[in-house]
Amino acid sequence: MNGSVTSRRRFIVAAITLSGLAGTSIGTSFLGPSRAWAQSEDGSDGDSAAMVRMARLLYPHDAIADDVYLDVLNLAMSMTASDGSFAALLDVAIDALNASQSADFVDLDEASQIAVLQSVESQPFFAAIQMNVGVTFYYHPAVWALLGYEGPSFDKGGYLHRGSGDIDWLPEGK
Amino acid sequence: MMAARFALDDTTVMVVIGSGAGGGTLANELAQKGIDVVCLEAGSRLTLADVENNPPLMNARMGWNDKRIGPPVWLCKTVGGTTMRWSGITPRFQEHELKARSTYGQLEDSSLIDWPLTLEELAPYYDKAEDKMGVTGTHGIPPSFENNNYKVLKAGGEKIGYKEITSTRTGINSAARDGRPGCLQIGFCNSGCKIGAKWSTLYTEVPKAETTDHFELRTGAMVVKINHDASGKVTGVVYKDAAGNTHEQKARAVAVAGNVVETTRLLLNSASSKFPDGLGNSTGNLGRHYTRHVMSIITAIMPGPVHFNRGTRQSGLILDEQYHKPKRGFAGGYFIETMGMDPGGALPFVGGWGRSTASFMERYSHMAGIFITGEDPSQASNKITLHPTERDQHGLPVPVIEYAMHPNSDAMQKHSIMKSTELYESLGAEDVRASEGIFVGCHNMGAARMSANPDDGVTNRWGQTHDIPNLFVSDGGVFTTSAAANPTLTIVALAIRQADHIAERMGRREL
Repeated sequence: MNGSVTSRRRFIVAAITLSGLAGTSIGTSFLGPSRAWAQSEDGSDGDSAAMVRMARLLYPHDAIADDVYLDVLNLAMSMTASDGSFAALLDVAIDALNASQSADFVDLDEASQIAVLQSVESQPFFAAIQMNVGVTFYYHPAVWALLGYEGPSFDKGGYLHRGSGDIDWLPEGK
Repeated sequence: MMAARFALDDTTVMVVIGSGAGGGTLANELAQKGIDVVCLEAGSRLTLADVENNPPLMNARMGWNDKRIGPPVWLCKTVGGTTMRWSGITPRFQEHELKARSTYGQLEDSSLIDWPLTLEELAPYYDKAEDKMGVTGTHGIPPSFENNNYKVLKAGGEKIGYKEITSTRTGINSAARDGRPGCLQIGFCNSGCKIGAKWSTLYTEVPKAETTDHFELRTGAMVVKINHDASGKVTGVVYKDAAGNTHEQKARAVAVAGNVVETTRLLLNSASSKFPDGLGNSTGNLGRHYTRHVMSIITAIMPGPVHFNRGTRQSGLILDEQYHKPKRGFAGGYFIETMGMDPGGALPFVGGWGRSTASFMERYSHMAGIFITGEDPSQASNKITLHPTERDQHGLPVPVIEYAMHPNSDAMQKHSIMKSTELYESLGAEDVRASEGIFVGCHNMGAARMSANPDDGVTNRWGQTHDIPNLFVSDGGVFTTSAAANPTLTIVALAIRQADHIAERMGRREL
């Protein structure tokens, strides 16, 4: 890929060590091993913060730490590492989010940040990022407990005898 | 197990391309009759040990994710094909659906025709297919387990007046049968069934064929071209093995079962001076009349926990809307089926972003889900073609899929969403969301449709191409029209029927 596509991706390499999730092997338990993103020279912390902020505003769960959103971005990129397609989308997004107002995206208040996202909502990059971030986010085991999702079940014998038919609030049927 | 081995220059073998619902079934049926079959599968052969409760990983392991242009399709490149991924629900087609043109009239901008066969002819093969697949509620097989998502569907369906609600018609063992265990309600049906309770040709048709001396499976075999002689009969297929080496397997006859998109691409890529527009395409119908079904997923936040991850995605269905009732404002009908999902799988159908979507997702444990599948009228303009310049890793033109929903499909989708919403709201649903518009192509049909008149389609009533007597199509591409039902049962029934026909023709030395 063109070098500029990955030029801003240094923060994602940092994400692997910053996430603090290594002990629970978040990145590897569900999506396969994460690949370290190619390190390059001109990444900036501002880009990292903007993308994490964007990911959080797309799927805002107050109980989920920034580290998880960062890990999600990393996973989405590692899954398209061969063609750099997600990284390229993030580059477009950073430019678009910073271009539309006087201050940098990260320095705006939340209402203004949401307004910026809404202003680019119809652009093709947005839908692609939204879907990638969303699916990767909700497949992330760090999110499951909040949702009440119970994860893989084969190793527990499935749900046949563990609540598959335990619903108790339905009206009495015929 | 004593699988046979056939020489590349053996001109007596039948080559079947693909090992899924169509190809795997056809190959086994032929082998059981003593006909020598070489089955070429582009993917690799997994075992149950390779199956994990991990959708992204399993998509990477068995999905066919090569480059295509157009709305996404849900193919598999693995032994078993899409029977590894399917959800398992198996309604039959109805009599009127095989007479779509006669029943619905010529809907504007549609290319409907009637099937060149009747339900009466198909019925005995449905019986055989249901027995083979272990369909619940047939052949004395008990109904499927009523999991929570089904119980919600049933309670809501009864509340709004539906009469035909059933936890049968699923090709997932409700109890041990045919050497496979009963379902444990593991979930993750679309990532391969970890215990083999769900019917897949990987562990049914393929190993059964291997117990004969008449079947050889070659994996990692990507077919790139079908060859023919000066008379126009096919003579063999060219494929690349996993190492990239090219071989030609000679053949007495060839059947293609590449889940419609890859079938069309192969037949188009096999163009020659004799057949400049591709094999089977002398009337310009190959790739056209492509249908995908009217689909939607409706998710609802219910007043109490549902935990719809606990168990099979598709555990039952409502039949009441399957009929042709034009008063609803559209032709044909649809099924309302359960749909359980993990959070990552649910998100695309919940849709949206921001606080409202996040709040919806945080109530995941209370989520119930419906999958709609309904009749999609054929349109000549919905088609699969080859890209003029884009090439895949084999140097072959990539497929281009052009698909737009017919107004009849728009009207049906709206109706199905309205009824599903009504069903959930009758039980006090707090919030309901529905996916609208074009759905992922998990049911591909029609691109090599059967027709009585060669001017109208690609294949005859046996799935034999009108142009080439020893070339067959054995996947959903042969469906003349889409009907409403999920296609796998009908693909299997037609493959069994096709095997009978091929064996008979071979017996008469006509093939």
